[in-house]
Amino acid sequence: MSTIIGGQVLRDMVNDWIGDGKRVGGPGYVGNHLILYRWLHRSDELLLESYPRPHNSIKEFLFPSHEKLYHYKIDGQHIELSEAVLPDAQQIIFAARPCDAASLPILDHVFNWDYRDVFYNRRRSLTTVVTLACQDHDAHCFCTSVGGGPDDERGSDAMLFALGQDQYEVRCFTDKGKALFEGKLEESTRVGKVGPGPERRLDLETVREFLKTDFESPLWERQTLRCIGCGACAYNCPTCHCFDITDEKVGSAGVRMRSWDSCQMAMFTVHASGHNPRSRQPQRQRQRIYHKFEIYPSKFGEILCTGCGNCSRVCPVGLGITPVLTAIQEEQAARAGTGAAQEAGREKVDQ
Amino acid sequence: MVMNIYKPDLMKVLQVRQQTGDVKSVRIAFEDPARAAEFSFRVGQFGIFSAFGYGESTFNICSSSNWKDYIEFCFRKTGAVTEALWQIEEGDTIGFRGPYGNSYPMEEWEGRDLIFLGGGIAMPPIRCAIWYALENRDKYGHITVVYGARTTRDLVFQDELDEWAQHERTTIIRCVDPGGETPDWKGEIGFVPNVLKKAAIQARNAVALVIGPPIMIKNTLPVLSDMGLAERDIYTSLENRMKCGVGKCGRCNCGPVYVCKEGPVFSLEQMKHLPNDF
Repeated sequence: MSTIIGGQVLRDMVNDWIGDGKRVGGPGYVGNHLILYRWLHRSDELLLESYPRPHNSIKEFLFPSHEKLYHYKIDGQHIELSEAVLPDAQQIIFAARPCDAASLPILDHVFNWDYRDVFYNRRRSLTTVVTLACQDHDAHCFCTSVGGGPDDERGSDAMLFALGQDQYEVRCFTDKGKALFEGKLEESTRVGKVGPGPERRLDLETVREFLKTDFESPLWERQTLRCIGCGACAYNCPTCHCFDITDEKVGSAGVRMRSWDSCQMAMFTVHASGHNPRSRQPQRQRQRIYHKFEIYPSKFGEILCTGCGNCSRVCPVGLGITPVLTAIQEEQAARAGTGAAQEAGREKVDQ
Repeated sequence: MVMNIYKPDLMKVLQVRQQTGDVKSVRIAFEDPARAAEFSFRVGQFGIFSAFGYGESTFNICSSSNWKDYIEFCFRKTGAVTEALWQIEEGDTIGFRGPYGNSYPMEEWEGRDLIFLGGGIAMPPIRCAIWYALENRDKYGHITVVYGARTTRDLVFQDELDEWAQHERTTIIRCVDPGGETPDWKGEIGFVPNVLKKAAIQARNAVALVIGPPIMIKNTLPVLSDMGLAERDIYTSLENRMKCGVGKCGRCNCGPVYVCKEGPVFSLEQMKHLPNDF
């Protein structure tokens, strides 16, 4: 048995939520070709059809690109601080891709180790995530190489599976998901299918072996010197979470802001003395790969990547996770001499 | 309401001392008496200091943890935030978050001789440990301070160097780079590693804390090795750029280590296991 719902009922639900004052974020067209996640005003802005995935991520809904941390007023020598207003409206992220939802339990670690980030946590507790299992993928998708897949349940409260003719199977995984669809579902025998997902083409064991043993490899220079340091990979990544803290003041009042930042920027690590531990672009690319595949796993037990492929999808110079990890695999295989690692990678793809 | 970890405490500026042409030290106290009463820190920890309207900067808390009514920090005028801090006067209000990071293992160092080696603006993060050791004088062996700066005008806390020299079993050596001396200069002329070598310090039971520009640290380490110090007995404090101070913003890491949480204090033995990323 399964539970199903019609597309029109889903769209009516979206309109009802918005009418009730809930915030609903989901994919939609911006212009004729670009598909982005954004806050929706009406259900007809929502895109439920099959396509690979939006060019941005859902992190914006929990960790906005610009966010107020607190306000201050300056009165001569006296300063008055006041809290930023935290959101209190329930929010529903609708028709997100599983590779977006999977980022949330991963991000929970960094925003809660030791010091708890109230801004992220508040939005997280107000959020229900409904994903749409993937029918399609493109050449950039690689979820299956990093432990995910077209119906990866991580981070989803409920998941929709397209049945055709504007019908969807609904699987609820959490109480939040069940509550959202309560009284809306019909029993059925129809079960949703997913696409095969992208072919598995990375072997993370080989990658980590390389990262553990060769920090100074010339590979970084060779592979990543063409990076122009625009940061597009980071801004569109569901798991990149680095930020800057800056001031915005007008007259005697101001606000302390947090904004997305990227390890690809030259200023990211420069010391007051002028010394920069990562003064060259390849060192910054190396940091990005290490953070995702070595540092984060060693700290929190999970890689900081869900295989969405946005990094290479948006990169103006053909970089991103897969091109660099592929080069690492080849290097590691060549180093092994026997090509054993490459062989192992191929076997896994075949399975 | 859960605590907003980014919101600072408001601090009253009690005193501003100009140390050199571009370095000032500032004494501040909590506006909120309840926060003042509960606050404590360990020498070696750092804070994130706010100039409202300009931003935040990271500095070591350079006062001793035994001083209960205030804390101090010291900065060089180098950017927008420090330009703004340069303008502050007694009675002004600034922000402080902290204390953050690990600290000097002062208990482990008990019974040992202490060698403090500092270059230029690196004296403040050493000063807190020197005061702490002098205030617990019986617990430590001989204390040697070698402090170098480019010129005689770039030495900070000069009056305190004189005060430290008055203590028993304490040797203070000042040096300036060749050409940085004045005709009446009574200290050494030369770079910290050379002056250290020349000083021929008895180092059989010593630990060393070395803080300064990367080139000074690099050239000082072989001298300490020659003196017989083990890697586990040589310490430094990394000064990576930070924004959050609480292990979130992602920029201070050196390989797998978040300097803001697992540092800033590392032994040379620990540093040997970090990638060349600092």
